[in-house]
Amino acid sequence: MSTATATRSNNNGFGARLSAWRDQHIYSFLSSLGRIVSKPFSTFLIVGVMAIAMAMPLALALVLHNVQRVSGTVQAAREMSVFLKPGVTLEQANSLARKLADRADVQKVAVVSPDEGLAEFRKLSNLAQSIDLLGNNPLPSVLKIRPKDDGLALAEALQKWPEADVVQHDGQWRQRLNAWLSLGERMLKILSVLFGVGVLLVVGNTVRLDIGSRREEIAVMQQLGATDGFIRRPFLYLGFWYGLAAGALALGLSLFAGLALDERLQPLLTSYDSRFVLQGPDLTMVVGLLATSAILGWLGAWLASGHHLRQTRPTDL
Amino acid sequence: MPVLRFDAVSKTYAGPHNALSDISFSVNAGEMLFVTGHSGAGKSTLLKLIHLSERATRGTVLVNDKNLAKVRGRQVALHRRQVGVVHQDHHLLMDRSVFDNVALPLLIEGMPSKEIGKRVRVTLEKVSLASKEKTRPSELSSGEQQRVGIARALIAQPLLLLADEPTGNLDPSLAAEIMVLLASLSAQGSSVIIASHDLALVKRMRKRVLVLSQGKLMDDIAPEELAP
Repeated sequence: MSTATATRSNNNGFGARLSAWRDQHIYSFLSSLGRIVSKPFSTFLIVGVMAIAMAMPLALALVLHNVQRVSGTVQAAREMSVFLKPGVTLEQANSLARKLADRADVQKVAVVSPDEGLAEFRKLSNLAQSIDLLGNNPLPSVLKIRPKDDGLALAEALQKWPEADVVQHDGQWRQRLNAWLSLGERMLKILSVLFGVGVLLVVGNTVRLDIGSRREEIAVMQQLGATDGFIRRPFLYLGFWYGLAAGALALGLSLFAGLALDERLQPLLTSYDSRFVLQGPDLTMVVGLLATSAILGWLGAWLASGHHLRQTRPTDL
Repeated sequence: MPVLRFDAVSKTYAGPHNALSDISFSVNAGEMLFVTGHSGAGKSTLLKLIHLSERATRGTVLVNDKNLAKVRGRQVALHRRQVGVVHQDHHLLMDRSVFDNVALPLLIEGMPSKEIGKRVRVTLEKVSLASKEKTRPSELSSGEQQRVGIARALIAQPLLLLADEPTGNLDPSLAAEIMVLLASLSAQGSSVIIASHDLALVKRMRKRVLVLSQGKLMDDIAPEELAP
């Protein structure tokens, strides 16, 4: 065995290979970071374009999230309230509730007694002192019902009950809201796909240009026996960094936009005596966005570098 | 046992142009030989077939008894790690230091960084460039750049070293220095094949010579047959 072959075979242990694998990743990791840092303006432009593309669906997602909150949860909107006539006692109300619970189209029914109703009223309004002046509790018993279906037939039947005074069921409003929310969610999905593809193309084109400027270096590496994986790795890291930075910037932009809107929204909400607070992205959304943007960057780089490696094989010795 | 064997190898480029016709020869481990001939004789094509930058149209090229026609995909990269290459125009990475250029084959091979550091320093000592490890190639003379290229080719102690006109741009004393380096690699067990049209240099080295003309092997001259 020649010296050359003997030396080569010393390097085959699992520990040595693991260590080499780690070293190669550190090399790619650092060289990709170095490339980003060495061109700050160009990096800013690329990341900026990607961040704006990602901020748009993110902003729509936040708007939808807040609209769902401001209009109450969809579950709450499904509920109907039956305000019983003033003469109906709590025992009669409980009996009606049991009767309702046996119906096939009722999922859940609860009785809110006049005392419970008053306590809730005190909590939610500024009229507690005025009510105290009345001396007695004017509130009726209320049946809170969650129907299994859209509740329209149930509401019609309840209106015919002699004990029922008012049946409050915003079924039509809920249907319309659900339709709008559903439209918004569909738009969010379409925008996410479109802008996601946009991010992929931006990263792909950036990496393609970077590969073009390093064509000779890649050819030398191929001649020295570098595998496609070795050549591709720094570009994958580069795409990953672009994606991650763009995701972080998109979050920053959406937070900034949220703060700017909140400044004008709060006085408006206060005038309606609302306690609504505009919510930004939660932790799941933050992690999801950063992971998605980093993966998109990586994927764009993978596609661009793969295309280059397939197209160009060294022909010069 | 031969490390390299050509059996009736031909290479035809589109045109058609016969770059090599029916070439047969073999090279033993540790042997150093020259391939000579005029421009267009087929010297570079012959080296390309060994390095798998090109494939033979007919015939068989065997390296360590492995038929290169069957080497595909990732195996091509692994094959190239056994074959060091030295170019006339160096092919160095100008934005990297001398150290990084020489370390590249070991990094590609997957050697741990500590081991790479040691091996690079030993190799740079061999080519008298130990003091220049942090220097960029663009700050070196042509001769020094060529020595960096040789250091990069020999650091992985390849089975075969191919040198395509390695002294083309160098003055005679530097050329002799480079030849001594290549001969030392051959003495360590690697086979060295040098393509050169510098007949004076070829004669001076007194090694085996393959003479190509218009893609044909015209002569295979043993060292002892060369006139002093």
